[in-house]
Amino acid sequence: MLSQERIKLMTKMAAYETNEGKTYMSIGSYFRSDYMGMQVLRSIISATLGFLIVCGFYVYYHLETLMQDIYKMDLWAFGKQVLLYYVVFVVAYALITYIVYSFRYSRAKRSLKRYYRHLKQLAAIYDIEKNSR
Amino acid sequence: MSSLLELRENLRNFYSRNEVYLLPLLKFLLALGTLMVLNLNLGYMTKINSPVIVLVVALMCSFLPMNLLVVIAALFVILHSYAISMECAIVAGGIFLLMFLLYYRFSPKDTLIVLLLPICFGMKIPYVVPVAVGLLCGPASVVSVTCGVVAYYVIRYIKVNAAMIMALDADSTISKFRYVLDGIIKDKAMMVVIISFCVTTIIVYIIRRLSVDHAWTIAMFTGAIANVVILLVGNLMYETNISVLSLVLGTIVALAVAKIVEFFAFNVDYTRTEYVQFEDDEYYYYVKAIPKNTVAKSQHTVKKITSVL
Repeated sequence: MLSQERIKLMTKMAAYETNEGKTYMSIGSYFRSDYMGMQVLRSIISATLGFLIVCGFYVYYHLETLMQDIYKMDLWAFGKQVLLYYVVFVVAYALITYIVYSFRYSRAKRSLKRYYRHLKQLAAIYDIEKNSR
Repeated sequence: MSSLLELRENLRNFYSRNEVYLLPLLKFLLALGTLMVLNLNLGYMTKINSPVIVLVVALMCSFLPMNLLVVIAALFVILHSYAISMECAIVAGGIFLLMFLLYYRFSPKDTLIVLLLPICFGMKIPYVVPVAVGLLCGPASVVSVTCGVVAYYVIRYIKVNAAMIMALDADSTISKFRYVLDGIIKDKAMMVVIISFCVTTIIVYIIRRLSVDHAWTIAMFTGAIANVVILLVGNLMYETNISVLSLVLGTIVALAVAKIVEFFAFNVDYTRTEYVQFEDDEYYYYVKAIPKNTVAKSQHTVKKITSVL
């Protein structure tokens, strides 16, 4: 015999698994440190690419001045300054990533906790049905 | 009210029944609208300007992920810019690449915001977007709002200055590059709009999550007022030439659209609010429960009365 309560629960869980649950389950399959490390690493790569684009723009914009002054410039000091900008940019970007993704990780975990509670309820319903047969 | 609620239920049922066909159709219409707006505003490269190409690409987009539509739209802008000058294409391409790097890290699912913002700007109702985003999305969506605003201002700059860029000496590539880059990144109107839209989105988001009655309505009105104030202050400080009349009319339209959004996404009956209090081993709970406005679908039954003589 069909149990209405079980079907409702299963439908709710199936909807969760195909929508928001899909993302949350992939997040939940990682340990927090692994997930955060992966996201920060991705952000560092993104920030590096972004910084390279900005550097490219800067060099092309000031190409004439740079070509004129290239022999007069203190290249070591210039390089250190660029490196400092790069580090500041990447650290700020990684920090924002850390904050945003730690919030997303805890939200995913909270949501999955609810899902696992539903799983337990479902198992309990199955047990009751089995025993009543 | 009940007929409106019934209409909402019917629309929801219709969408859930026909989602398989409606989703590609909506994607197709969005792609078609976006590409047509781009071609109408830019349209410098004749090869991609033909309606056949637009139709084929829009058809392709209806079966592709939404994020690819953003990439295709960006490619269209870059190609049109290339037809004006190589430097213009480099600047547009670089800015779009920077935005993609930022956008894909924080809000990759907000494609609709990035695409709709330039379209809404074209329709003179851009103020709808930050209010609606604040109501429906999270705070990370400010990244998408910023990307949408930048995309619009890049397109507008290219459109307005195309003749000037073409007239510049073809040999001086660096001065051309400087002219385009300066024009885009030193646009104070763009900066003011970005700040205004981001602040509006965050204000609307914070207020609509508060546990006060009519939080959504308060949020949309406060956000709209904040938007108007910031844009006017920006106009006074940097002479951004914002038309006050279009700002006021656009804000009224934004509020009307926000009310429609509220009707579909958060329709509750505050008169039947219940406050309950209970406890378990670890916590005391103070719960405010507000019932949703719902209406049972009317059942039309046809009763056949036949008489046999």
